[in-house]
Amino acid sequence: MSSIESSNTLAIFPRSWSQQNAGRVPGNIPIWVGILSELTEFGIFFTAYFIAKFNYPEVFASGPLSLNTTIGVSNTVILLASSFFMAKAMSNVRRDDYKKCERYLWYTFICACMYLSFKSYEFYWNDLQGFSTKTNEFFTVYYYMTFNHFLHVGWAACAILWVIFRLRSGAYSAKEHSGLEALAVYWHMIDLMWILIFPLLYVLR
Amino acid sequence: MKRFGKLEYYFAALITITFSNTILGEGFDSTAFITIFVALTVMYKGLVVIDHFMELKEANRYLRMMMRTYFFFFPSLIILSTMF
Repeated sequence: MSSIESSNTLAIFPRSWSQQNAGRVPGNIPIWVGILSELTEFGIFFTAYFIAKFNYPEVFASGPLSLNTTIGVSNTVILLASSFFMAKAMSNVRRDDYKKCERYLWYTFICACMYLSFKSYEFYWNDLQGFSTKTNEFFTVYYYMTFNHFLHVGWAACAILWVIFRLRSGAYSAKEHSGLEALAVYWHMIDLMWILIFPLLYVLR
Repeated sequence: MKRFGKLEYYFAALITITFSNTILGEGFDSTAFITIFVALTVMYKGLVVIDHFMELKEANRYLRMMMRTYFFFFPSLIILSTMF
């Protein structure tokens, strides 16, 4: 098998899943294995949320009223903006416009830092109100979901710094930027998880 | 003048939906109608990010199917939760 043929085949997957038949895999296969794991992990959290809500409806009806909605909305806007900037970074690397690509990556990194700061303040604010993981079932699920998401944003923010370094080193071009694209799809996955978390914890009662 | 492209329109739509959902959640008691509306908008937001930000619309159809199924399944659970 030639190297071109092998690169178009997903090795462990059926032939019908090859890039020629099913379409291009953005980023690379390992990042999609990682994304699948993360989706499973968050899927378990969401399932736990629905089971807990079914068993403790009163606690889950009053829970969102105890949270700081302003910070929740701000973080949603920040993460949506970060996803937008990441998409712009991708469109610029495809045009070989590395300056603009780097600029948008920095914007994404700033959004990540803002998210982490706001979330830290929210945890502090909750503490001042006397809320903790042991307050009730709602707060147990809340901390479980949001702290886990916080960690994901944290390490993905570090990865943004790494791809900026790689971009500056000339590792990416319009033709070859799979590393940058892998981070982009991972970042969008983190944003997608927040799109689900936000209404569950802050909006719906 | 800079062109206002497709990405910018989708971004504006996502922000608008986020604010409208919050106003609905904050301003009104949580009725089945509001819950279903929020669930449908969450589904829409997810599909926009998957197709246009993640760029899966033109990519591997199995990956796109997997991501879209996820965003049909969990918002559907929100709708289902209004029945209990």
